[in-house]
Amino acid sequence: MRKHFILGTVAAIAVAILPAVSAEASSAAINYATCTSLATCGGMDALVAAAQKEGTLNIDTVPRNWANYGALIDLYTKAFGIKINSTNPDGSSADEINAIKTAPASKKPDMYDGGITFATGNEGLFTDYKVATFNDIPATYKNPDGLWASNYAGEIVLEYPTNLPKLPTSIAGLSDAAFKGMVAIAGDPSSAQQSLMSVFAVNQAAGGTPADITKGVNWFQTMKTSGNFVTVRATPANFAAGAYKISFNWSFNCPGDITASKATGVNLQCAVPTDSHLVGTPYVAAIPKSAPHPAAARLWEELLYSQNNKGFLAETLPSTKGKSGSVIFKSLMGGQNIWVSGGAAVTESAAMAKKGVLNNPPTQFIINTPGTTVTPTPDQQTAAKAVLTTQWPTVLGN
Amino acid sequence: MNQSNVASESTRTRKRVVSKGRYKFPFALIPFFIFVTFFLAWPISTVVIESFKSNSNKWTLSNYGPLFHGIYLHAFETSIRIGLITALFGVIIGGLFAFVIESYAGPRLTSILDSVAAVFANSGGVPLAFTFLASFGANAGLIKLLKSWGWDLYGSGFSIFSFTGICLVYIFFQAPLMVLIFKPALKGLRKEWKEASTSLGGSSWTYLRRIALPILFPSFVGSFLLLFAGGFSAYATARALTVGNIPLIPLIIGNLVDGNVIADKTHLGASLAIGAILIALIAMTGYIWAQRKSTQWRR
Repeated sequence: MRKHFILGTVAAIAVAILPAVSAEASSAAINYATCTSLATCGGMDALVAAAQKEGTLNIDTVPRNWANYGALIDLYTKAFGIKINSTNPDGSSADEINAIKTAPASKKPDMYDGGITFATGNEGLFTDYKVATFNDIPATYKNPDGLWASNYAGEIVLEYPTNLPKLPTSIAGLSDAAFKGMVAIAGDPSSAQQSLMSVFAVNQAAGGTPADITKGVNWFQTMKTSGNFVTVRATPANFAAGAYKISFNWSFNCPGDITASKATGVNLQCAVPTDSHLVGTPYVAAIPKSAPHPAAARLWEELLYSQNNKGFLAETLPSTKGKSGSVIFKSLMGGQNIWVSGGAAVTESAAMAKKGVLNNPPTQFIINTPGTTVTPTPDQQTAAKAVLTTQWPTVLGN
Repeated sequence: MNQSNVASESTRTRKRVVSKGRYKFPFALIPFFIFVTFFLAWPISTVVIESFKSNSNKWTLSNYGPLFHGIYLHAFETSIRIGLITALFGVIIGGLFAFVIESYAGPRLTSILDSVAAVFANSGGVPLAFTFLASFGANAGLIKLLKSWGWDLYGSGFSIFSFTGICLVYIFFQAPLMVLIFKPALKGLRKEWKEASTSLGGSSWTYLRRIALPILFPSFVGSFLLLFAGGFSAYATARALTVGNIPLIPLIIGNLVDGNVIADKTHLGASLAIGAILIALIAMTGYIWAQRKSTQWRR
């Protein structure tokens, strides 16, 4: 009797203490600045708890209206109660790398989202982390150790107001006299990736191959001579000033542009040109070694790459109070599908289509015609940049 | 070191300096020196160092080679050309405006026109580009109006996005700037000089040719150089109106150090910046000389 009592007490004490001890041991063992996967970060419950303890996520050069990022930002903040500090939203990839290098420790970005050449050229700045869906990311566009990985890409589309006397459907058709003084690109192709890809798209339509963009450059020259191409930057302000009507745009910017311009009484429409299907090099994400909120950064990446095809967005999400991190995370719309609804081509699309979890693109915003897509390789882009640096101003200058 | 120490140290220094009647350190300028250090000296020295580094962080002169041929030399020429042309038109138009205001406008009108000039002189960049697009773009109201009257500007080869177009836009902030900086010089012309000239039998033309113009000439040169530096280095206006078709040095530096496309040429950007700084330095040295010349009559 007495023996049983002692045993019982010991057992009871052990039961009471052990989980506490083990929990303490595991959380003390996890260094969120260096853990490399969801498993080594202690699982979703622990990751969410650690991220909530950090309370903040710093993002840099991420515009809300870019590729539906606004929906992701709102969802993350509402689901986990973590504040997102967004700095320099309209900055460039170069700005972002500079911020990672030079911003004060607590203000450094927790995430890199930008051009692939800026990531491969600065791998030393990043820490290796593989998201749960890492295997679904195509090998061409990821670092095998998880230093960086592609997340989404855009397709080059034509954006135009629906009240034009004639609506453009192909790139070749833009030389029609009806489009005089109307066609513009987003900026200098030596500075804006979107413009560089627009030249590739034109080159494709003009019968060129990604290995040689001369035909694309020549097309712009002809279009400038005919007066159809105006050398103004395609920006909302310049559009409002009437400087151009038709622009080459990233597909993932269409939903945002169309919704925004509807509010000003202008109906815009996007269309994939029938004679060119050009998908840009994907943008890549990475976590800087210096991230001041390493757990929040890892949780953010997990959300960006998650694949749920049903689930809550910020507007529909009920209160998450008292729910465990993994339960909350499972109830959310996957980041990849949020990008899809923003018009982006997502990096895990092939794997997701196979699993049947890939949502449909937003056809109400973008008119699509099926066709084989082309993406210039990094080497082809390097060659194109060298040609453009010298030819572009000479061919288009006056 | 605590504050009282600093204070006593400085009083002691000052006393000593004053008693010897020699150099006195201008303490009131310390904030200014700090400002100059952080926003001028430090950035410039960083750019100088960057311009002599390779991508692998070794010392090199190779970043300076491209400045002297090809597209980068062409860009320097274009930027200098745009600086000279817009400065020339700026000083002529602005100078005439300043003269008319100074001669004919009453004090109230003058102060209104001064404010207007100040606003226009500082409205460069995106807002100015927007104004021009809205009025001179291919689909703009003014252009359509002129076309309906039978004058098809774009049909006759004009475009706001050409070199000429950019010059036209620049003159809209260059001329008002000229008004602002040239008016004080006009004010410096004393009535007594005119009277002295007249009493000695000089005509208005003699006064202008022998007295006013020689006195104003250094101010004119100084203003021209200041406007040149402004036109040479303007960035935002040109950026809003072009897509790389007009190679200007500030835009190219922007592409290299701050773009989304070229990732490995920041050091070339730095050497181009040094080239631009040298050109600005030459202009500013001339400006300082002209300033000294022009103020010698006002002492």
